[in-house]
Amino acid sequence: MSAPRLRGLLGWGYLMPYASLFGLFVLVPIGVAAYLAVMQFDLTSPGSAGFVGLRNFADAWNDEYVRRAFAVTAKFAAMMVPSLVVVAFSLAVGLNAMPRGRNLVRAMVFLPTMFTVAVTGILWQWFYNLEFGLFNFVLKNLGLAPVPWLSDKNIAMPSIVLMSLWWTSGGTAVILLAGLQNIPRMFHEAAALDGADGWRGFWSVTFPLLRPVVLFVIVTNLIGAFQFFPQAQLLTGGGPELATRGVVQYIYETAFNGYRLGYAAAMSWMLAAVVAVFGFLQFWLMRKEAS
Amino acid sequence: MKGRWVLLVAMFAVGLVFVAPMVLMVLTSFKPEAEVLNPESAIPRHWTLQNYLDVLSWSEEAPFVRWLLNSILISSSVTFLVLVLASLAAFGITRVRVPGGGAFFYLVVASMMVPGMLFLVPVYYILNALHLLDTPAALILPASAGGFGVFLLTQFMRSLPRAIEEAALIDGCSWLGVYYHVTLPLCSPAMATLGVLTFIGSWNDFVSPLVYLDSIQNYTLPVGIALYQASYYTEYGRTLATSAMATAPLLLIFALFQKQIVESMSSTGLKD
Repeated sequence: MSAPRLRGLLGWGYLMPYASLFGLFVLVPIGVAAYLAVMQFDLTSPGSAGFVGLRNFADAWNDEYVRRAFAVTAKFAAMMVPSLVVVAFSLAVGLNAMPRGRNLVRAMVFLPTMFTVAVTGILWQWFYNLEFGLFNFVLKNLGLAPVPWLSDKNIAMPSIVLMSLWWTSGGTAVILLAGLQNIPRMFHEAAALDGADGWRGFWSVTFPLLRPVVLFVIVTNLIGAFQFFPQAQLLTGGGPELATRGVVQYIYETAFNGYRLGYAAAMSWMLAAVVAVFGFLQFWLMRKEAS
Repeated sequence: MKGRWVLLVAMFAVGLVFVAPMVLMVLTSFKPEAEVLNPESAIPRHWTLQNYLDVLSWSEEAPFVRWLLNSILISSSVTFLVLVLASLAAFGITRVRVPGGGAFFYLVVASMMVPGMLFLVPVYYILNALHLLDTPAALILPASAGGFGVFLLTQFMRSLPRAIEEAALIDGCSWLGVYYHVTLPLCSPAMATLGVLTFIGSWNDFVSPLVYLDSIQNYTLPVGIALYQASYYTEYGRTLATSAMATAPLLLIFALFQKQIVESMSSTGLKD
């Protein structure tokens, strides 16, 4: 064997430590996920495992709870993503226009993204508490009726969205702010010379230039929103009446409370397929923007 | 000019709205239990450390100190492993240029597109087969296998000139010596960003410990406090003291590394 070739193979020594973990916890799991999805696999009775083909997928397709869970996840995404974009965009535009103190306020709005979702959930459960929560205390002092923030099936989801906005919009605002600051000053100057300033300048100059960043933010948050789970697990446990139980929570309950790993794996693939569509959408849009 | 000052005040007020929950958390954690449920005054009338002392005194149902130590052990191990393994792999790909290294890099990047929740069930299955469930390794090993570190460091090393490393090789330095004495120091900005982001991600992870851990003794802080809150949910003073202590290390990191954290967040939208 020639010396460079030998050196090249020995060089895999640098890659092996990472590659072995990558193989065991990234590549093998994808295979295991495929294997489990076509098996009837119940961890409580391991002897009962058997090949069932696509039956898990057929069962999930016809499972009313799967449909409800997908509807809940879609509802969260439909409420969360547009409001996040509006809030984060307003924050970014406001920050960008600040004559001074920008870095301080940017740090303030970014701070909540440093919180673990567990602490975020604890804090907001306290704010939302029906009897002695902060929000109902304020409402009471204003002479208004208390709101069942988490116990009404129509209000619970908006409450979760509000908490999620507090938690994540600062991070998204920072991304958009960087996009705004990346626009060369001469574009604004040229627009001002043409008489397009204020709102018109914003819509005709700033916004089109910012479109790739906005698209990026929309798609990544859409992908994130479809993995909706910890916020509901902490605030409502998926209730009331399953009104906030999304797909990931149903997968979690099926796999780790019911130990039906095969069925849970099939549901995971179905959700992954939906998320993959958004991934391809992002890829396609970025391509189109670039050309 | 007046409009600009109105904007400044308005934005500062908005900033306060974002910070207020955290301030309320800290203030309330110093209130005696009787005052916690009465939000008349945000500032405690009688300041007390009782909540903190209660939480810190070891108890069977909620061993806070144990959770804190678990979190420190797990997050530090993940950060250390990611930094070492990812930098070695990136060095192999970009400097030693091993055969197949480029293809491996593409495989790693492609794997980053797979949504994380697909791994939840199969990784549980694998950890169960390896008898690693309910151990710190169940959180350390899968978290160190993620592709982000290899991606970040490979990109960074590709942007660095190779001249210094080639000179070191000609001077008789071994590849391992080049890695340790030349490449690692050159990569320190990227390593700092990667280390901070990895530590925060591991410290804040909620779903993996929820799924892969079982006994209260082995919990990390996020799962521990969520469990504590679920069982003693009216003891807000203590829960908030716990939350404040779980968040303090992150606020310290944020204060120290604000530039790296915000910059790495900023650049995510500015690819290509």
